[in-house]
Amino acid sequence: MNIVVCIKQVPDTESVIKIAGDGKSIDTGDIKWVMNPYDEFGVEEALRIVKDQGGEVTVVGAGPARVVEALRTALAMGADKAVHIQDDDLYGADPIAVAKMLAKAIEPLSPDVVFFGQRAVDDDSGVVSSAVAEYLGMPQLSVITKLEIADGKVKGTRPIEGQTVVLEASLPAVISAQKGLNEPRYASLPGIMKAKKKPLETKTPADLGAERSDFIEIATLNPPPDRAPGKTVEGETAQELAANLAKLLKEEAKVI
Amino acid sequence: MATKFVSQRNIRFLLYEVMQAQRLADWPRFSEYDQESFDMMLDTAHRLSSEVLFPALRELDLEPPRFEDGKVLVRPMVRQFLSQAGEGGWVGATFAYEQGGLQLPVMINTACNFMFCAANYSATAYLGLITGATRLILTFGSEELQETYVPAMLEGRWQGTMALTEPQAGSSLADVAVSAEPTDEGHYLISGQKIFISAGDHDGADNVVHLMLARIKGAPAGVKGISLFVVPKLRPEGGELVSNDLATAGLFHKMGYRGCPIVQLSMGENNDCRGWLVGEPHRGLACMFQMMNEARISVGKAACAVASTAYYASLQYSQERLQGRPLGAKDPAQPQVPLIRHADIKRMLLMQRAVVEGSLSLILQAAWYADLHSHGPEEGREEAFLLLDLLTPVVKSYPSEMGVIATSAAVQILGGYGYTDEFPVEQLYRDMRIHPIHEGTTGIQGMDLLGRKAKMHQGRALKLFVQEVGRDIAAAEGVEALAPQAQRLTVAMGLLRQATEAKMALAAEGELENFLSDATLYLELFGLVAIAWQWLKQGLAAASALEGEPSQAEQDFYNGKLATMRYFFAYELPKAHGLAQRLGEDDGLTVAVQAEHFAD
Ligand SMILES: Cc1cc2nc3c(=O)[nH]c(=O)nc-3n(C[C@H](O)[C@H](O)[C@H](O)COP(=O)(O)OP(=O)(O)OC[C@H]3O[C@@H](n4cnc5c(N)ncnc54)[C@H](O)[C@@H]3O)c2cc1C
Ligand SMILES: Cc1cc2nc3c(=O)[nH]c(=O)nc-3n(C[C@H](O)[C@H](O)[C@H](O)COP(=O)(O)OP(=O)(O)OC[C@H]3O[C@@H](n4cnc5c(N)ncnc54)[C@H](O)[C@@H]3O)c2cc1C
Repeated sequence: MNIVVCIKQVPDTESVIKIAGDGKSIDTGDIKWVMNPYDEFGVEEALRIVKDQGGEVTVVGAGPARVVEALRTALAMGADKAVHIQDDDLYGADPIAVAKMLAKAIEPLSPDVVFFGQRAVDDDSGVVSSAVAEYLGMPQLSVITKLEIADGKVKGTRPIEGQTVVLEASLPAVISAQKGLNEPRYASLPGIMKAKKKPLETKTPADLGAERSDFIEIATLNPPPDRAPGKTVEGETAQELAANLAKLLKEEAKVI
Repeated sequence: MATKFVSQRNIRFLLYEVMQAQRLADWPRFSEYDQESFDMMLDTAHRLSSEVLFPALRELDLEPPRFEDGKVLVRPMVRQFLSQAGEGGWVGATFAYEQGGLQLPVMINTACNFMFCAANYSATAYLGLITGATRLILTFGSEELQETYVPAMLEGRWQGTMALTEPQAGSSLADVAVSAEPTDEGHYLISGQKIFISAGDHDGADNVVHLMLARIKGAPAGVKGISLFVVPKLRPEGGELVSNDLATAGLFHKMGYRGCPIVQLSMGENNDCRGWLVGEPHRGLACMFQMMNEARISVGKAACAVASTAYYASLQYSQERLQGRPLGAKDPAQPQVPLIRHADIKRMLLMQRAVVEGSLSLILQAAWYADLHSHGPEEGREEAFLLLDLLTPVVKSYPSEMGVIATSAAVQILGGYGYTDEFPVEQLYRDMRIHPIHEGTTGIQGMDLLGRKAKMHQGRALKLFVQEVGRDIAAAEGVEALAPQAQRLTVAMGLLRQATEAKMALAAEGELENFLSDATLYLELFGLVAIAWQWLKQGLAAASALEGEPSQAEQDFYNGKLATMRYFFAYELPKAHGLAQRLGEDDGLTVAVQAEHFAD
């Protein structure tokens, strides 16, 4: 089984995010970067599949030089090799442009399965995996929490509102992983030492013969509104308190 | 609820900007490392801490080990964590490659383990004990013992312990009485009782391997007759594990640190408890003491870690809790301000931060000496060992004693809420209290420092320390922002020298009781000076970083460092004067007071 896992490097959710002076991007100066948490499910699943069925796991990431850190983390978890598409402007670019680059890098690897996280926690666009599937001409099973691969076929389960739908496709296929698919492992110390010796190839968009094609651009980024102050429900008795709470929920919060 | 328990930024500041941990990668032992791999390890440690350990902090306190049908039952997370620690390579991270380790520098491992301890000290104690016991077997044990025990311990499946204490032998290890009778079959028959043995029995591991002090039949009395043994709970026999006649007699209920059991052990009730000698007969305490330095530094690290968690909990609270108004603003219609706006609250925050970050710096300094001593350039090794040996009691005691005060300040900042179990600080305050007690009480550390370490090799270690500090004072004198602190540290070093001379004069006169009666105060004075030194080092690094053009967030960080440094020199270091005054007096007041004076 030849598996590719695409990895995006995103700000750690603990980092304080500030909007940059241009109003369209974030100030990346003091951010701590990590692997997109949904991508970890993809890495973990890929490692489990090759453990059972043999094969190789290649991780692919696009963006500035720092993206190598996220790729190394995947190598430390156990992936075999990495490809880094180095392009400083790709962070925050049109997801379609990113997908096109990724597809160019993935194609020559002739994978049986390509994993993505179901979305990236920074921009929440959720577009890249589908666009790559389209560029590669592969079926996509999206938002998957359970996966089986056998006899050249893949079967994936997606939860919908308490029910599940089971999807099936022939390989090769693109899978986007959802929380619940597995419990990602932590990089081990021996894994970290080995990661340094694993192959990591750096390619520029020019090497890939890929041209940037942005269809959309970010118009503005708006910070969340300040949290409104809390309100204390008044009342003498439990009944009165409950009645006043119900009134607030209905008239002010408009949730009942 | 609080989410932060350590500052990753601070850890990196201390490692790379103050201690220059990058240098470690230049030594052959660590040649496979670089800063990137150190960083990945720190990141992984932080994830394990925040995702596995920290969420179980309260659970381990609320549901302490139970003793049922002769078994000690602990929370399932203990087994899960030990197996993750085994798989992750954490048990033997600093061991040599050929011992199944990763040759990780002690300094980096210390920083990682600090995060574990801050997230959950009880859970981390199990891991630390396996590491310590495994190291003893690897260092002094026979090949057979190594093959039998080490693999399962490295995997985190078998618990290790340090079994020293007995009911009549706590501080006084000379009184160890558990006996070991030689047999013709290569093992000894062990009998007696051990008490307070951490992780001494529990169902989170498949076996327990005690590294136990005992006295071979006929051995001389006192410390020169104590030997070290491996005494397993289950012994491997014919490919199976069979009972080794080692029973858990009971479990103690503790004030804090409640997630890890301390048990009473009874050996040889059926005359079939087997032990295997580790190292030479009668040399057990020497073996154990080699590990004890490490264990004592670990206690300092754990104390500092618990204080870190309490500091961040109280910091967060002080930013959110609205209470009171600025002194000038008396208009009650105005909203109240967050606690952190009050000077007295900032004082308590600065105190905690000064203790936490000053201690961590000293702990990493000790780790640096440990690495230097074992693997550094030949010419610096002996000096590094002397400095480590000298500073060990300080590294153990300053964070432990001041940690109690720092966690108390965290409770104080939370006011009445801090006293309830709605917030984590009351637990942390309880968890902290063990540290001045185990691995040698503060009193014992004081006597070790003044009675042994300050004198050893004609005071050579102390001279080296004075040189080390002197170098940084000289550097700081040339920096405008640090000159006043450099001056104050020079004065404090003078006080330490005078106190040492006064005490040594008593020793020379043979006034032993008088010489050591205030050893604890001497330890306290030494701690103040050592931490001031570490703050000056941090000041040097921060001042130099501010000369570049760091981002706003980085400027805030470095200015916070300088403010905390100034706090330490203004509020903490002056205590040296009071201590020095008392240490200069030779009236032997406490020696003279008679037990009868406490009659009523
Ligand atoms: C939670 C916990 C975990 C522990 N874990 C372990 C473990 O894993 N393995 C192990 O072997 N032990 C362990 N211990 C035991 C611990 O090391 C001892 O409690 C400690 O060494 C003190 O001994 P003690 O309790 O008998 O107190 P004592 O020795 O009775 O001391 C009581 C007080 O008297 C002072 N004192 C004692 N002797 C002198 C003296 N000569 N001069 C002046 N002052 C003196 C001490 O400083 C102390 O303040 C643990 C204890 C606890 C509470
Ligand atoms: C066990 C217990 C029993 C109690 N019993 C009673 C009782 O019987 N009756 C009753 O009425 N109350 C009772 N209380 C409440 C108790 O009196 C309050 O907890 C106490 O007054 C502190 O108030 P607080 O908890 O709101 O803390 P806060 O007022 O929020 O104080 C938190 C911290 O901020 C500091 N601080 C607050 N304001 C300022 C300021 N302006 N400048 C500088 N520092 C400031 C405080 O010194 C403290 O360190 C009890 C509390 C406890 C825990």
